[in-house]
Amino acid sequence: MKWLELVQVAGATLLAAVTVVVLYSVGVRFTAIAGDPEQAAPRWMKSLAYVCFGLCGLAVLFGLYLIIPYFSK
Amino acid sequence: MVALVIALALFFDFTNGFHDTANAMATPIATGAIKPKTAVALAAVLNLVGAFLSTEVAKTVSGGIIKEGSDGIQITPDIIFAGLMGAILWNMITWLKGLPSSSSHALFGGLIGAAIAGIGIHSVNFESLMQKVILPAIFAPVIAGGVAYVCTRLAYALTSRHDPETGSKLTQKRGGFRTGQIFTSSLVALAHGTNDAQKTMGIITLVLIAAGTQQPGSGPQFWVIAACAFAIAIGTYAGGWRIIRTMGSGLTDVKPAQGFAAEASTASAILASSHLGFALSTTQVASGSVIGSGLGRKGTSVRWGTAGRIAVGWLFTLPAAGIVGALTALLVKTGIVGVIIAAVAGTGAVLFMFVQSRKSHVGHHNAVEVEEAGQAVRFRKKKALAASRAHKLNGGDK
Repeated sequence: MKWLELVQVAGATLLAAVTVVVLYSVGVRFTAIAGDPEQAAPRWMKSLAYVCFGLCGLAVLFGLYLIIPYFSK
Repeated sequence: MVALVIALALFFDFTNGFHDTANAMATPIATGAIKPKTAVALAAVLNLVGAFLSTEVAKTVSGGIIKEGSDGIQITPDIIFAGLMGAILWNMITWLKGLPSSSSHALFGGLIGAAIAGIGIHSVNFESLMQKVILPAIFAPVIAGGVAYVCTRLAYALTSRHDPETGSKLTQKRGGFRTGQIFTSSLVALAHGTNDAQKTMGIITLVLIAAGTQQPGSGPQFWVIAACAFAIAIGTYAGGWRIIRTMGSGLTDVKPAQGFAAEASTASAILASSHLGFALSTTQVASGSVIGSGLGRKGTSVRWGTAGRIAVGWLFTLPAAGIVGALTALLVKTGIVGVIIAAVAGTGAVLFMFVQSRKSHVGHHNAVEVEEAGQAVRFRKKKALAASRAHKLNGGDK
């Protein structure tokens, strides 16, 4: 039944978009904390931000990997 | 006839790219994330790549909607020609009138109308049409809008920083989303390539099947995929120059965090649907996301008038293009003279559209279709927002 496929699309959309947005937002937050001129932040904060951005990029690549038929054959 | 239809289909693909560059790349250009030239080139390349990613939608178009093959009804290149003409003419009408319309739905509408008029109502596979075109057309923008709403909320909640003692705002660096937008809008361009280029591939495949040079039920051939990919990429690149000229007139107030959330939702929705062979309108999904993400920001409300106009254009396109397609099919049925009249009318329409778009002043109303969706959400003025916040705070103190 195609309703199931619609639910699938909705679920996949939600999952993918939320993953990307959350990871990136957390990254932005860490950047903000690391760059705050008023409060000194530990140095690893900056690297943590980059880890988040990196994970976000990996999530996107993984999503594309799932979609492209060339890889799933 | 086959060659004529293929040429027309590729031209349709070109105009599609020409039309839709703005949807993907307008926001990052507006927020200054990328230089216009780079953005347009990037969009073109990604459309090209996207077109090679999948063929599910093409199979829906070529195999799902019109019954074909020996056991089904024999569809002829003439019918496809009439359908394509219907789509092109309807696109031209809406473009001249400034109505928001989806070229994808015009394509389906034209094809269905032509098939009904030319062969009969039994030639259309309504079950597949309902499941793969109409339902996704209604639900995909809603899904994208809902997801964009959630994502915008999340993005703002996760990046809002307040001093725990004084409650004053700390630096939030939301400008960081601007860089992210380069990537999300690239994904939108990629998604556009996967979904929209495939519709043309489906049409060309359908013609080849109808002409008997390809097995019914098979997917598009490689040269078809490549031709469509290049047509849409060139169209995207050509269309991009219009946006560059438009940027001075100002876009809807879209903040980087909001744009990021909207684009992430648009790209995921389109890619997920393409994967399952749903043929949907990228413009409408993008509009849904823009509205959804606008609502996700604090202190916004929907302008129902504008939103209603989008919805009407959205529901209207399929039957209207169908009527144009049906009329063209009747014309084509009369014989060679009818074909020539239709061909001249269609080619003339396309040329006229192209010439007009070159010389007419490009305002943001006709370059960015999503713009209208952005205007459907009203943003409260900063002051009113601050007042309501203060009000809430006072209420909380009691």
